[in-house]
Amino acid sequence: MEAIKLKLIYPEDKIKEPILSRVCKNFDVEINIRKANVTDTIGWLELELTGEEDQIEKAIKYMEEQGIEVSPLEGQVFME
Amino acid sequence: MAKVKALKCKECGKEYPVEPIHVCEYCFGPLEIEYDYDEIKKNISREKIEKGPKSLWRYIDLLPVENPTVGLSAGFTPLIKAEKLGKRLGLNNLYIKDDSVNHPTLSFKDRVVAVALSKAKEFGFDTAACASTGNLANSVAANSAASGMKCYVFIPANLETNKIIGSLVFNPTVVAVEGNYDDVNRLSSEVANEFGWAFVNINVRPFYSEGSKTLAFEVAEQLGWKSPDAVVAPLASGSLYTKIWKGFNELKMLGLIEDNPPRMYGAQASGCSPIYKAFKEGRDWIVPEKPDTIAKSIAIGNPADGPYAVKVAKESNGDMEVATNEEIIEGIKLLAETEGIFTETAGGTTIAVLKKFAEKGVFDPDEVVVAYITGNGYKTMEVLEGHLDRPIHIKPSLQEFKEKVIGQKVEK
Repeated sequence: MEAIKLKLIYPEDKIKEPILSRVCKNFDVEINIRKANVTDTIGWLELELTGEEDQIEKAIKYMEEQGIEVSPLEGQVFME
Repeated sequence: MAKVKALKCKECGKEYPVEPIHVCEYCFGPLEIEYDYDEIKKNISREKIEKGPKSLWRYIDLLPVENPTVGLSAGFTPLIKAEKLGKRLGLNNLYIKDDSVNHPTLSFKDRVVAVALSKAKEFGFDTAACASTGNLANSVAANSAASGMKCYVFIPANLETNKIIGSLVFNPTVVAVEGNYDDVNRLSSEVANEFGWAFVNINVRPFYSEGSKTLAFEVAEQLGWKSPDAVVAPLASGSLYTKIWKGFNELKMLGLIEDNPPRMYGAQASGCSPIYKAFKEGRDWIVPEKPDTIAKSIAIGNPADGPYAVKVAKESNGDMEVATNEEIIEGIKLLAETEGIFTETAGGTTIAVLKKFAEKGVFDPDEVVVAYITGNGYKTMEVLEGHLDRPIHIKPSLQEFKEKVIGQKVEK
């Protein structure tokens, strides 16, 4: 089992969709939300995703396809 | 008694032992060093600092390291009174803090890496790592080589190798990841959290970022133990900017300076300005951006310390501005032509923003203003191609020299 800490940022048009619920139904992962702020114009969440590596990868890919910005909790660590 | 009490969550305040960890397990907030300032106050004085080594380690009482072993010559860079640039901008007391000549790799990263890897050695790590193609990789690779640590550098695979020659020369293991910057980013975070390595801006980040405080300490000491009225600094992850503020506040709290800490002015490139936008829009959260700017060394689209930088700008009565690519180039040229300092695009951004604020009249002409120059222009000369005067071509003849160069009329 792997665990990864992520920050998700939702665009305005996706806030009303139950994307995380679908992630749990479609992939064998568990989600533990630690911090969140959701309003009518923006939504961001910090959470831990637990599961086998391939399931985590697929879940992240799915969320990105839905238009969610998925980044590690640390933000951008890569520097040019 | 130890000067460092614990690591403390910046959000919820929960305390943790001093270990290579960086995130609060409860609220996921970032961890910060919690010092015992009462204990530090008993030991620290201007005189003691002045007798210390001519490096950032003269401020060891305010750094989270007991026994420095890496980057022993980092810091203590020149603070230059910028008379000519000041005259152009209508500022009588303008100074440049010149980290373009930091040792050993010519950027402010030598400060943070010195602190991160010295602490990493204390923790018993034998391997350093980072994800970078620029100043950070240069410094991690050089300092690892000099201190006998193994070094891993992560980069995207589609990159031209000549971009990383300045790191390859130190012989690190370079891992070229098949994917984009976001993929490198996520893999780095996973590696940092799984392997027993010092990933400089991930698992030892609380220690790494403290190194930037020395940019405040040195300026205060070099001004004769005074705080400037205002400083201008670049904003990338937001860490440098917030730590400069913390540094001045610590000096004030410990009685090493009497003045209030400076107003903090932040500079971003308009092609990557998520912190500037959050500040201007009154948000305490960051909307990530895909960077599109020549200022690569500060192009952080998803900056970890962005919300804290916004807070510092407000608290210090400061402000933030952005500079376009053209303005950044003009900033590089302006600093070079007036002060003889060749900075990279981050410095160009800082000078461009300094100029904008000066023109807006946010500084009183006699105020002490310090601009932080964080990197060296000789590393990224290609950005200036096509923006500089060309040589005057002549034949090897004195007559042509007089005519074409000096502008004399020569009788034939």
